[in-house]
Amino acid sequence: MSRSTNGEDSAPLALRTIGIVLAITFAFPGAYLVWRNFTEDADPTGLLFSSATVEPMLRTLRLAVSVSVAAAGLGTSLAWFSTRTDLPMAQMWRVLLPLPLVFPTFIGAAAFIRTLNPGGLGNDVLSDFGVDQTPELSGFFGAWLVLTLFTFPYVYLPVAARLRQLPGSFEDSARVLGDSAARAVAKTVLPHISGSVAAGTLLVFLYTISDFGAVQLMRYDTLTRAIETNYLARPPTAFALSLVLMVMAALVVAAERLVSRRLPVMGAARSSRAVQYRLGRWRWPCFGAVFAAAALSLGAPTAALVDWASDGLLRERRGGRPLTIDADKVLEATVNTLTAGVLTALAAALAVIPIAYLLGRYRDRIGSLSHAVVIATFALPGILIALALRFWTIKAGPAGDLLYDTLALLIFAYTVRFASLAMGVTLVAVRSIPAPMRDVAATLGAKGPRRLASIDLPLMTPGILAGAGLVLMSTMKELPISLIVAPIGFPTLTTRIFGSFEDAFVAEAGIMAVVLVAISALLSWFLVLRRADHF
Amino acid sequence: MRLHLLTLALVFGLVGTACGGSGSDDLSEAALEIYAGECAESTGDSLTVYSGRTENLIEPVIDAFECKSGVDVAVRWATSTQLALLIDEEGDRTAADVYLSRSPGPVGFLKANDRLAQLDQATLDLAEERYRDPDGEWVGFSGRKRVLVYNIDTVGEADLPNSVFELTDPGWKGKVAIPATNGSFIDWFTVFRDLHGNDVATQWLNDMVDNDAHFYANNRAIVEAVGRGEIEVGLVNHYYNYQEEAAIGDDHRARNHDLADDDIGSLLLITAAAIPAASDDVELAHTLINFLLTEPVQTYFTDETFEYPLASGVEPTAVLPTFDALEIGSVDFDALGGGFEETARIIEASGIQNQ
Repeated sequence: MSRSTNGEDSAPLALRTIGIVLAITFAFPGAYLVWRNFTEDADPTGLLFSSATVEPMLRTLRLAVSVSVAAAGLGTSLAWFSTRTDLPMAQMWRVLLPLPLVFPTFIGAAAFIRTLNPGGLGNDVLSDFGVDQTPELSGFFGAWLVLTLFTFPYVYLPVAARLRQLPGSFEDSARVLGDSAARAVAKTVLPHISGSVAAGTLLVFLYTISDFGAVQLMRYDTLTRAIETNYLARPPTAFALSLVLMVMAALVVAAERLVSRRLPVMGAARSSRAVQYRLGRWRWPCFGAVFAAAALSLGAPTAALVDWASDGLLRERRGGRPLTIDADKVLEATVNTLTAGVLTALAAALAVIPIAYLLGRYRDRIGSLSHAVVIATFALPGILIALALRFWTIKAGPAGDLLYDTLALLIFAYTVRFASLAMGVTLVAVRSIPAPMRDVAATLGAKGPRRLASIDLPLMTPGILAGAGLVLMSTMKELPISLIVAPIGFPTLTTRIFGSFEDAFVAEAGIMAVVLVAISALLSWFLVLRRADHF
Repeated sequence: MRLHLLTLALVFGLVGTACGGSGSDDLSEAALEIYAGECAESTGDSLTVYSGRTENLIEPVIDAFECKSGVDVAVRWATSTQLALLIDEEGDRTAADVYLSRSPGPVGFLKANDRLAQLDQATLDLAEERYRDPDGEWVGFSGRKRVLVYNIDTVGEADLPNSVFELTDPGWKGKVAIPATNGSFIDWFTVFRDLHGNDVATQWLNDMVDNDAHFYANNRAIVEAVGRGEIEVGLVNHYYNYQEEAAIGDDHRARNHDLADDDIGSLLLITAAAIPAASDDVELAHTLINFLLTEPVQTYFTDETFEYPLASGVEPTAVLPTFDALEIGSVDFDALGGGFEETARIIEASGIQNQ
């Protein structure tokens, strides 16, 4: 493969070619967007200076920064507590904490409101304790809270994966040298996880600027709302605003690269023993804090979903209006959701590995370019990716016709939308393969694919799995692409939930959302146990 | 690890077995209400529908049509806006033979972009004249009426207004929810502008903003919030409260209030059917639209989905208040497409989305 084992060496031609192909492939929605802007005499620069754009844009930025800071803090601390301490029921938390990611925001935020807002389920419970009215969650605070609670897993998963790889002796030796516990963590652990934290926080930021469901329901006006109301009324404005969003995303991606490049690179190792930092008298208070985070992010929305679902089931049992779904339909949607989710997770994990090598090992320019394209795409509204794909399949003629209405095209669209989620963690994983290990392997004659399989991959596995997990859950809740690109007659749980919820069939939506959360829990449980076995 | 894979397989297996059972191709109960006869033999023809109306409500109608006609129907379910954008993007390559929209706006968008075919007069004649496009490019097949939904614990019936113009009174300060950027509200406000003139409509919206009206994402969110008592009243489509009530029963503390028949607040918003100009089977597409306007389907819409039937001669279900819909025949519905832009501008300028 490469001529030398030195990390600063230039990348093999084959790898660079793959990198270029990937960059072009992932750029198709962006190219479409630019094309629409040119052909529809949209005026993105003019819009930039009108107050109708500037205000929602500033609100978008303010929200995205606040959510990023909060999610980074929450995700990182939860990861540390659940992987490196003697926190009670750590295993259970490891299964539960990624799950808030799976709520589609249009129903997740609505369920959250249903539980916590005035007159909601929480209010009913609290009224027994003399609290008449819970405060109304809305506006900036409401949007900040619900988005923080739904996005912290973007940070939690990669950081937890990284933490499990670090030798436990780090904190110990620092403490032996006389540091306080907190300082020990700050000095020894933080530098090792900073890359993962930055990568995860970037995703939180990009998700927040592209979110429509939660900000709408919380009544906080951002750029995505302006885009959404303009699709039919003023299409050029919608396309121009989307371009603004994409440029904003690209700038943030570039900024993250600048920061990450300066972060220390530390080697990974399979830690030989489970690290358990003893929390002592803080054990139960910490348990309480983790419990509160899980109760708010997972419990609150689930409570409303279960309430809707059980009302519907009881109603049918009592001979009320029958449900419009049956077990067959739920099963069909579940199987479709899992099929598409797992295939996309695989495709995305594979697609980002070459880019991660180009950038992480060879610091190749093509790598930086592909990396930026892949990640910035995450901030584009899904409907644009769907429309862009339709545009290109029509342009592609017979080849496009062959792909049209196939599962392959759906997986491709999902991958373009979500490969960004696996990008950052995979990059961290590649960068943390210790150079001495590679050199030894090369000396012993292990080359190319063989070295990849025997040395690199095992070390990268936790990172790749965390990335694949993020892609899987995001795909399972994806809506616009699932509606527009999926082969006709391929319902997923999310499309079914959406259709039901749109017309206030809350029981049907609740039942299927509970199923969605349940299968995610099952998958998460499976991954956590598997890892526990493995390491 | 093998053990866990096994466990997982076992769990899925169990779920699969538990969920199995009813795998027959029989029509659902709802579909049987529409058509209970023998299913026709397959004609080998197929039709593709893009439906902005949701699966829960429309699937039984499609199933009944397939059974009765022997035609194979494939449906892409999405939002009306997404599908209008898709048909526009696909242009003359669209797969869609029939487009169903939950509100007039997206149809207006397609009409303005010359994406729709002329419908046969015989099909248009199935609906009353005021419920179809004067140029014959779309026809309404069910209606949703604008109402004021109110919380029965916090608002006295006697205090309810007769007109949306009363909602700008100080007595309603901070008590009214508006789905200002939702499709149905934009459609409604476009007709409002057309009927009362730009100045009156804009003034009303600005007064509502001054009166601290609250912005909500959509009709469903308002009905839910009013049901909880988070806000007193809201301007919505009549339909959602019936659904919410049917879903959660007495816990839902909201009712619909009808404003005066001749008030803009009682406008009937139609759901519309159209045929894309690029459809490759216009004749068959007409058969499906005709079916939507037959008596059994119209009765299904009003009995099961609490909507207003639009076919001549079909009466609304008993629970729906009868009313003389505002004479909207005179409204230039093209304005719903072309006039959108101005509506969006006025709504944005009012600042309602920041309330």
